[in-house]
Amino acid sequence: MAVPVSQAWTVASYVLTQKLKGRKRYPLVLMLEPLFRCNLACAGCGKIQYPAHILKAELTPEECFRAVEECGAPMVSIPGGEPLLHPKMPEIVAGLVARKKYVYMCTNALLLKEKLHLFKPSKYLSFSVHVDGEREHHDFSVCREGGYDLAMEGIRAAVAAGFRVTTNTTLFDGADPNSVRRHFDQLMAAGVESMMVSPGYTYDKAPDQNHFLGKAKSRRLFRAILSNRKKSWEFNTHPLFSEFLMGKRNFECTPWGMPTFSIFGWQKPCYLLQDGYADTFQELMETTNWENYGAKSGNPQCANCMVHSGHEASAVDYAFSSLGGFIETAKKFMLKPLYPDADAQKLLNEWKPTAHTNPLVQIQGSSSDELQPVSGD
Amino acid sequence: MATEQQEHLKIEQLRQHNADELETIAGREKENLEGWIPALATDAEIREALEKAFDYRGDVTITRKDGSKVEGYLFDRRSGTSLEDSSVRVIPINDRNKINISYADIAALAFTGRDNAAGKTFEAWVKKYWEKKAAGEKNIQIEPEKLD
Ligand code: SF4
Repeated sequence: MAVPVSQAWTVASYVLTQKLKGRKRYPLVLMLEPLFRCNLACAGCGKIQYPAHILKAELTPEECFRAVEECGAPMVSIPGGEPLLHPKMPEIVAGLVARKKYVYMCTNALLLKEKLHLFKPSKYLSFSVHVDGEREHHDFSVCREGGYDLAMEGIRAAVAAGFRVTTNTTLFDGADPNSVRRHFDQLMAAGVESMMVSPGYTYDKAPDQNHFLGKAKSRRLFRAILSNRKKSWEFNTHPLFSEFLMGKRNFECTPWGMPTFSIFGWQKPCYLLQDGYADTFQELMETTNWENYGAKSGNPQCANCMVHSGHEASAVDYAFSSLGGFIETAKKFMLKPLYPDADAQKLLNEWKPTAHTNPLVQIQGSSSDELQPVSGD
Repeated sequence: MATEQQEHLKIEQLRQHNADELETIAGREKENLEGWIPALATDAEIREALEKAFDYRGDVTITRKDGSKVEGYLFDRRSGTSLEDSSVRVIPINDRNKINISYADIAALAFTGRDNAAGKTFEAWVKKYWEKKAAGEKNIQIEPEKLD
């Protein structure tokens, strides 16, 4: 089962309540960013490029709890930065679990093994480990050789200690679908509960500006990866979002579905784009010009976005917007279709992997040839 | 939010192609703003400069009309109909408390901090990476710099 029944029930009854209340815009997952500093410097990431005093700042547990209560979403995802660098992360997680929120603590797992004893296994807590593919690909993505081995060690330790462990894989141009499928096998064999996969966003602050997937390529890549899937694979993404990635259906963005709170406040409009901040959740909902975002709006920043934080909530909303949508979704959840597709198989068979001539690394400096470490200050 | 000039590549690409048909999408053209001191002679210049400061991933220094200075990270701007009802929000270097500064109170702006999103030597690093690999080095990595 991709998520525990209690979690599926909590989310379903929450969404139904919102619908019955007639709320047009409601949050599903709070993206809580308690800090921006990280122990990695991935080239596809546009989240960590700040001056030192910003990277050193962090939300207090009380600020986190206030945001969670203001927002009211049943699930809380804790990205960052690397949450395990926050000295009060165990207290924050314990407080959210006590509030019966389903928490996905996103981590690169470099520190997971050594910090595991600070957390308690719970049905409300899942470590969502970021692993971008097989060893070579992941290490390339995170710009650190050995990163994959550490992440997998963290996963195994957390699974052995009885924690829920899920994974999150972000793909950029050059991803090899055959390798991603092998990667899924490896993750399931390591005992993860379920996996998530999503295309990377074109962060304009990311050091690598040349490997962002366009929609046509994304759809082909995801069709190759997610069609003809194995029975053993469990995904924690909504089945209709998976179909959206494969190009089988279209969803407009639902930017308010996964609102983001950080040291700056409530981010307008979404987890990916920074178009200003609101001081309260209500202000975010009321003062954001939502019509300026999403593919339909013509906003170039949204043009190739297929990211889960903008589109998975659309799949959930669709499922609860009509009886037909509900039945269709329920069937997909229960029957877990494998999406047999001969053309996708052909695509897989003929896919030519691109060599890693452009490792994804973050660096700073001028046009010098010298290797320079990324700076946090 | 990026200005039209900064969005040039992507906008050009989208003018010519349907987003649904794009194989890869153009990244961002980066402006070198480090050290820049905009003129702020007209209202339009003030708005444009503060928009760029909002987009900038380094600290800026704002001098108010009363002579006081604020150095910090400009994380938000709220654009109203006049300079009086438009403001920027800054987290100063040594204080986490956010402060509001009206556009109308700003006498000068300087992009004093390093642009943390610059990342211009990406290709150079790729070359180095493969050189190190070829030389048999192990555990090649980019470490975030120490913050203290
Ligand atoms: S499409 Fe939606 S989620 Fe993606 S960047 Fe735009 S507003 Fe954000």
